[in-house]
Amino acid sequence: MSASIRLTAVLLLPLAASACSDPPVAPIDPAIVTLVSGNNQTGPVSTVLAAPFTVRAVDDLGDPIVGRRVRWNPVVGGGTITPGEGVTDANGRASATLTLGATAGPNSARAAVDGGSAEILFSATATAIVANPTPQLVSVVSVPPTYGHHDTFVRDGLAFVCAWNAGVYIYDVGNGIRNGSPNDPRLVSNLITATNGVPGGAQVHNAWWFHNPVTNQKRYLFIGQEGPGTVGVSSSGDIHVVDVSNLAAPVEVATLNVGQAGAHNFWMDEARQILYAAYYNGGVIAVDVSGTLTGDISNRIIGQVKPGGPNATFVWGVMLAGGRLYVSDMVSGFWVLNPTTLATLGGGNNVPTQFVSDLTVNGTTAYTGGWGTRAGVRGNTIRIWDVTTTTPAQVGELMIDNATTVSDVAVTPGGGFLVATAEGGAGAGLYVYSLANPRAPVLRGSVAVTGGLHTGEVSVINGRTYVFTAKNPGAGNTPEMRVYDITGTVTP
Amino acid sequence: MSLRGWALAVLLGLGGGAIALSAQSGIGFQPMGQAIGVGTHADPIPGGGGRTELRLTQPVLMGMASAWRGRVQGTLTLNFESLTIPSGELTPGAWGEGYVDRRHPHTTVHELVVATPDLLGTASRGISIGLVAGKGFVPFGTDDPMVRPFLRYPVNHHWAQVLERAIVVLQAERGPVTVEAALFNGDEPERASQWPLLRLPDGRWRFGDSRALRATIRPLTGLELQGSVASILSPEHRPAAGGVAKKRSASARWDDRPEWGRRYAMVEWAHTDELEGTFRFRSLLAEASLRRGRWEVGYRVESTDRPEEERLDDPFRSLRPHLENSILGIGRWTIHTARISRELADPDLPLRVSPFVEGSLGSVRKLDAGVFDPVGLYGSTSVRQFSVGVVIGWGMRHHRMGRYGVLSTTHDHSYHTP
Repeated sequence: MSASIRLTAVLLLPLAASACSDPPVAPIDPAIVTLVSGNNQTGPVSTVLAAPFTVRAVDDLGDPIVGRRVRWNPVVGGGTITPGEGVTDANGRASATLTLGATAGPNSARAAVDGGSAEILFSATATAIVANPTPQLVSVVSVPPTYGHHDTFVRDGLAFVCAWNAGVYIYDVGNGIRNGSPNDPRLVSNLITATNGVPGGAQVHNAWWFHNPVTNQKRYLFIGQEGPGTVGVSSSGDIHVVDVSNLAAPVEVATLNVGQAGAHNFWMDEARQILYAAYYNGGVIAVDVSGTLTGDISNRIIGQVKPGGPNATFVWGVMLAGGRLYVSDMVSGFWVLNPTTLATLGGGNNVPTQFVSDLTVNGTTAYTGGWGTRAGVRGNTIRIWDVTTTTPAQVGELMIDNATTVSDVAVTPGGGFLVATAEGGAGAGLYVYSLANPRAPVLRGSVAVTGGLHTGEVSVINGRTYVFTAKNPGAGNTPEMRVYDITGTVTP
Repeated sequence: MSLRGWALAVLLGLGGGAIALSAQSGIGFQPMGQAIGVGTHADPIPGGGGRTELRLTQPVLMGMASAWRGRVQGTLTLNFESLTIPSGELTPGAWGEGYVDRRHPHTTVHELVVATPDLLGTASRGISIGLVAGKGFVPFGTDDPMVRPFLRYPVNHHWAQVLERAIVVLQAERGPVTVEAALFNGDEPERASQWPLLRLPDGRWRFGDSRALRATIRPLTGLELQGSVASILSPEHRPAAGGVAKKRSASARWDDRPEWGRRYAMVEWAHTDELEGTFRFRSLLAEASLRRGRWEVGYRVESTDRPEEERLDDPFRSLRPHLENSILGIGRWTIHTARISRELADPDLPLRVSPFVEGSLGSVRKLDAGVFDPVGLYGSTSVRQFSVGVVIGWGMRHHRMGRYGVLSTTHDHSYHTP
């Protein structure tokens, strides 16, 4: 269409509109549509294909057609495609992503461009997820040997790798910002937080990316610094607040210090904008993290409690579940607190023979790990608790042979499986238990890891279940983030 | 060129120079060796109860060479403990390099040092300048326990000696005073086959990240006073992520040899600050021995603080490399050790065949409110150890390991053993 004809059409439009009840239909130039990429992919059922389908529309001179509508529809296989409708970009391209159907077999989807020369049919194959008890190692990311990788926080396809004095590394593991995936983590950025005068350096131990439902911001990353201490009596290290509005250039904006105590694991009540932090001999603190965080935010502490008392408190972890705040104290055991007042509701002094490590709660059942050796008893057990009431009652126990520590426990989304990491001997590694009966977990699969895994963070990405683990440095080995795909393990 | 650059040049140059000089002027060579066959019973051990083990410990071969009329010296010590005690030597209270309540095996190439005791040819004018380079002992603290009268390594071994490092030492001696300054790598070995780490993969130097200074005064014949300081970066974490250990040592040593035998005594104080004073460890030790004819008796008492660390499934091992900077507490070990031995070989010969009996009694207590619990771990706070064995050696009777350069010539016996 020439420019003069196009102008005439535009000028006549108001007249046509006034003369007819039907809206005018502008003539559409024919488009030559071609398939650019994404055809013939394969992926597990119910997962998103790794690459989008892309078509391109050009005119008869080969110039890209911009803003032309493209409709996408699944054809075979029962999958879904998003977006259902789009427009071509400045290069004449449009893309959509197919989520494969739940049944193994061929899948296809169709792209129809307005005025297009032909519809484009994309094909894909959905493969069945094979039940396989053994966790599958899908990627390894080396971490600088500055004591190594301690913990990982995964959310929105981003993995925040807490790598001690090397700081926090942000990896795209499915977010899209760097086209990363769990099989191919892509570095987004790295930040070494301030030492704040704590001997030993930044000592980045753990993190929590705050998604604030009140402001809809995803601005702040809270980081725990684990400074030197003597287990059971003293600790050090601050909470560091990092502004990750620009994920590629995070900036530390605030810190929080609790005198004579150091930070450990976090949990958040995001709706109430409260950060709960385990603080070793400082007990548990609750911090108001609403609004803008800057500078010293120590005055935002709204509560602190030492569940075991001043001389028997060394809190490892906290978790908010079912309106209660659960606390694992290495020395004084497993507690239940009121999350608003931090008043003790029940529990405590219930694990006298072991040091307690991490905790996780799944409905009316909770699980705690053990640490090190106490009075000759190793911490290689997972204790199972009935938390129907506010007084936890131990109802069972799992043992991991040839290890001293179960340093992390977590439950997969939906509560079907318990994941644990172990350290301290030949039994070190990753363990996955079926929770068909939550009070009697059954080992489903495991993998031994020389040197042990310090932590494991469970995350579902594109329909598959992964554990992002922190592998300890062994003799001659560097510390690593190891990503295990346990989709097969958690498939019946 | 930086100080580290000069030191490295010395480290490499002295080795080459020694070979060249030796080729020109002939080599004087003195072989030495030692091994101890011993049965040890220790009670308690981690987990409670006792244990008895038979081992061959301290199997070493040494070669000490000199060339160019003694102006260049070389020392090579091979230690085969990685073969004979790969799991360490049962020693309640001992610790270091990932071993706990077992003394760790040393690296196979224990010493490989080249030294010149009179670098500038000024010894005749009363001032000796020495230069030492290679792998060996840092000029810090007191003599290595291997060349002292007891089988049992003291708990303070890692507070009072620094060894198996890549060293460059500059020495100055005038009259009774010797001053030594050293650059070295901070990392201690992780296994017997490991060499000192000179440079990290990211390009940072490990060699030269640690320093030591020692002054030695000999006011009387037989009396030696020593004071030393050291700053060691991340000794227990080879990639250098750990903190700095600030160390101090002071000692007085008496050693003379009247016609009827030998009198030896030593008192020692050692102190180490880690992580800017977060952890402070101190040690006091006194020991003495008396040899009359073929019989020798000895007694040692020490009170030494030890970091108590998380143990692995093997309760005699702790995690290396470290994951974090925390400990379980500090234990104070007070150990009394007595020993009696009889020399079977002619004392005037280099051969040594000395059966011995040695026993230790002591205790451990916690110094803080940390979770380290000696009763929970051992079942008792009492420490008992009993050993029976025989030392077989050649040429090492008077040797003071780790005394290089100017210290080797006039005050020790390293290069003069018959």
